[in-house]
Amino acid sequence: MSARSVSQEETRKKRLVVTYSRSKPHSKLETAFCTHCGKEVLDRVDIRETSPVFCCLGCKTVYQFLQSSGLSRFYQLKQNNDRQIQPGGGDAIEYRYLDDSVFREKYARGLEDPQIDFFVEGVHCAACIWLIEKLPEIVPDVKEAKLDLGKSVASIKVAPGGSFAKAAEKLAWLGYRPHPIESDEKASELQNAENRSWLMRIGVAAACSGNIMLLAVALYAGLAGDLARYFRYLSLALFLPVLFYSAAPFYKNAIASLRSRTLSIDVPVILAIVLGAVVSAFNLRNETDHIYFDSISALVFLLLSSRYVLRRIQQRNLGGSHLYHFLLPSKAKRLDVKAAAIVEVNTAALLPGDLVEVGPGDVIPVDGTVQSGTSAINSSLLTGESSPHRVCPGSQVYSGTLNESDVLQIKVTALGRQTRLGRILKQIEEGGLKKAPIVIAADRVSKWFLAAVFVGAAIVFGLGADFSDGINRALALIIVTCPCALALATPLAMSLSLKKAARAGILINGAEILEKVARVKNVVLDKTGTLTYGKFEVLEWKETSHLHREIADIVVALEEQSKHPVAKSLVQFLKTRGSGTSLPVASFKEEIGVGVSGLVNGQFYEVRSLKEIDRTNTASVGTRIGVYCETKLIATALLGDKIRVDAKTTIDELNRFRLNSFILSGDDPEVVRNVGETIGIATNRHFSVATPEYKSRFVKNHEPCLMAGDGANDALALSSAYVGVAVHGSMDVSLRAADVYIAHPGVRYIEKLVVISKETMSLIHRNFAFSLAYNLVGGVTAASGHMTPLLAALLMPVSAFTVFGSTLIGTRKLREALRERGGK
Amino acid sequence: MTILAILLPLALLISCGFVAAYLWATSKGQYDDLETPAHRIFLEDELERTKR
Repeated sequence: MSARSVSQEETRKKRLVVTYSRSKPHSKLETAFCTHCGKEVLDRVDIRETSPVFCCLGCKTVYQFLQSSGLSRFYQLKQNNDRQIQPGGGDAIEYRYLDDSVFREKYARGLEDPQIDFFVEGVHCAACIWLIEKLPEIVPDVKEAKLDLGKSVASIKVAPGGSFAKAAEKLAWLGYRPHPIESDEKASELQNAENRSWLMRIGVAAACSGNIMLLAVALYAGLAGDLARYFRYLSLALFLPVLFYSAAPFYKNAIASLRSRTLSIDVPVILAIVLGAVVSAFNLRNETDHIYFDSISALVFLLLSSRYVLRRIQQRNLGGSHLYHFLLPSKAKRLDVKAAAIVEVNTAALLPGDLVEVGPGDVIPVDGTVQSGTSAINSSLLTGESSPHRVCPGSQVYSGTLNESDVLQIKVTALGRQTRLGRILKQIEEGGLKKAPIVIAADRVSKWFLAAVFVGAAIVFGLGADFSDGINRALALIIVTCPCALALATPLAMSLSLKKAARAGILINGAEILEKVARVKNVVLDKTGTLTYGKFEVLEWKETSHLHREIADIVVALEEQSKHPVAKSLVQFLKTRGSGTSLPVASFKEEIGVGVSGLVNGQFYEVRSLKEIDRTNTASVGTRIGVYCETKLIATALLGDKIRVDAKTTIDELNRFRLNSFILSGDDPEVVRNVGETIGIATNRHFSVATPEYKSRFVKNHEPCLMAGDGANDALALSSAYVGVAVHGSMDVSLRAADVYIAHPGVRYIEKLVVISKETMSLIHRNFAFSLAYNLVGGVTAASGHMTPLLAALLMPVSAFTVFGSTLIGTRKLREALRERGGK
Repeated sequence: MTILAILLPLALLISCGFVAAYLWATSKGQYDDLETPAHRIFLEDELERTKR
C-alpha cells in the first residue's frame, strides 16, 4: 500500500468510528493512559510500563471482569482507537422499570421473544460491536443482541419472562449507557421504506440508462434500417421504467411546488423529461433520428443520486429525535407519608405536592422546593455555572440539575413540560420548526433563471418558421439551459463539503447551514465546556512548607471523608499524583461552606477555603483552598476550570477573518474576565451571569451570529442563533437545538467550520459563474436556431461534467486547506 | 447482424434478473445498515473458533 492509500484507509477508518482523534500531549514521563478507557491518567510520576494503569476503580473492575470471562479480545479489537469508554455506575434498581409491565407494553415489541431497542452511548468501533453482541453469553435470558453502529442502536431480545433490567444494567456497567427507545415503528419504518424506495429507483434508472446508452452508441455510430428502428423501440421500452417509476419523486415535488405557486428546480426537470419524452416518441413514429431517451434517463439517474446522497447526509447528522427522554431520570423515589416508606416510581407517576427524595449524584427529576436536607447543587445544565451552589430547606431547585453531595427531600411544584427545563425544550422545538424551510442558494437563482427560460422558450416557439422548427428550437433551449449544472453542482459541492467536514469531525445539519456560516459576522462563545474543559479541576497545588512530607496524604485522608465536589476533585488529583496512603483521622469535622478538619498523627489539620489574610491575589479565578496545620498555612490549592489550549489561537484566527468574538457565560464576572483576557477577547465583549433567556436575546440582537455552546443553558440561544454550534461533549438538548455538532474536543473546529463554509461558498459562486456563462451562450445559440435538440442533449452532460470536475478539484483543495490549518 | 435481434433481448433478460435481485435485496433491507456488517465480518471468525 502506498503512503497515500494508507492515509486514505486511515481516514476511512476514522470516519467509521465516529472520529475521536485528538492531539494528545505526548509527554510520556508524566502521562499514562487508562488501559480500559484510554483516558489520560494525569501526572502519574511513576509508571510501571508492565502493569496496566487505570483511571478509576470502575475501569479496573470492568477490565478484570473481561479478563476473567475470557473476553480480553476486546482490547485487541479496540487498540489504535483512543475513543474513551467510561464504565458507568448503574445498579439493578435504576433499570428495574424496564421490566415493568406498563413500560414493556409501550416499548417492547414481539410477543414470543420481547425486544427493546436501546440508544447506547459510547459505541464507536468493532470492539464495541463485539462486546455488545456478546451480551447473550454474559447475561442469562438474553437471546440476541444486535448493534447498529451508525445509529448507535442496540436491539436486545430476551427470552419470555427474561429481564431487560439485567441486560441494561450490564450494558451500563460496561460503559454503554442504554436508553430505551419507544418503539415508534411507524416513523422509523417509514423512513427506512422511503430510503429503500429511493435506492430502488436509482438502481432501475442506472440499469436502464446504462443499457439505453449502449444502444445509443450504435445509433450515433450510424446504424440504419430495420435494426435502427428495432434499437429505437428497445430504448423506448427501457426508457418507460425511468419515466414512470424512477422519476416519480420529481413529479411529486414539481406538483407540490406548483400548488404552492413557486418554481422549484423540479419543474424544469419534469418539463425537460416530459417534453423530451414526448418529442422523442413523436420523432420515433416519424422515423427521424432525434430521440433523447439516453440523455433524459442519464439526467434522471444523476439527479436521483445526488438527491439521495443529500438526503442521507441530512438524516444521519443530527436526527436523534428520541434524545429528549434522556435528560431526566425516568424513575424517582417518592416518599409515602402514610406508610413512612420510600417507593420507587416512574417520574410520570408523580403529582405536584408529592415528596421525592434525591440522593447524592442523582439528577433532580422535578421542579420543586427543598423540604429537608442541605446539599450542593450543580445547575450547569441550566445556568452554565461550573461551581456548585448550596441549597437548604426552602430553596427552589430545578429539574435537570445535579444533586452533588447529600440526600434532599423535595416537594414537587412542577413536572415534565411545566418545568423550567421543559419550557426551554418546548421553545427549542418551536424554534426548530420555524427555521426549517430555508431555500438554498441554487433554488433562489434558478427560480428567476427558470422563469426566463420558460418565457424565452415560448417566444422562440412563436418565432419558429413552422411547428417542427419551433418545437426543435424551444426544446433545444430548454434542454441546453436545463439548470442541471446549477442543480447538480450546488448540492454536489455542498454534500462533498459536508462530508469533508464530517471527516474532520464537524457534523453539519444540512447544506443551508453551511451557506449560513459564511455570512456570520459575530461569534458568540459560551465559556464553560466550550472555551474551557468544563470540569472542576485542581489547577494549581503548592506546598508552602517543606516540613510536612505527608501533606498530600493528610489532605487525602481528610477529604476522603467528605462528599463535597471540591473534596472529590482534590482527592482525585492527589491520588493520581501517587498519594493515598491511608492515615487514620480522629475527631473529623466538616463545616459546610468552609471545609474539613481533624486530627492526623496527633496534629490538628484543616483543609478549608483560604483565609482572608492569606489571599495574596484578590482576582481569583476559581476556588482557593488552604491546608492548615495548627493554624499555620502549609499548602494551597486552586480549583477551577482549565482554558482549552487552542482557545487563543482560534480567537486570533477568527479575528483574521474579521469576525467579532464574544464570551457569553452564566458564570461569575471575575471568572469570565479572566478567561477572556487570557484568550484575547476585549473586555467590552464579555458578558457574564447570563440566563438562557438572556443568551437567546443576546444572539438575536447580534445577527448574523454563530453561537457555540454545550449545555442546556445554551440550547435556547443555539436555536435562536443564526447558526448554533454544539461542541464536543454537549448536552443532548443543545445537540437537538444545534445546527452543527463538533465531534472533537477543542475550539479550533469553530474556525475550521468557518474556513470550510467560506471555501465552499466561493466554489459554488465559481460554478454559478460558469453555469450562467454556459447557459447564456447555449441559450442564445439554441434560440437562434443554430443548435439541434440532439446537440443540446450532448452539450448538457458536457457542461454538467465540467462543473463536476471543477467541484471535485475545488473540494480537494478544501481538504488540503483543512489539513494545513488543523494539522497541529 | 440479425443475431442481435435474439441476443439483445436475451442480454436484457439477464440484466432484468440482476435488477430484480437488486430490488429484492434492497426491499429486504440489505442496504439499510452499511456500516455495522463491515465491522462484523472481522468478528465472525472469532465466534466460530470459540464455539469449536
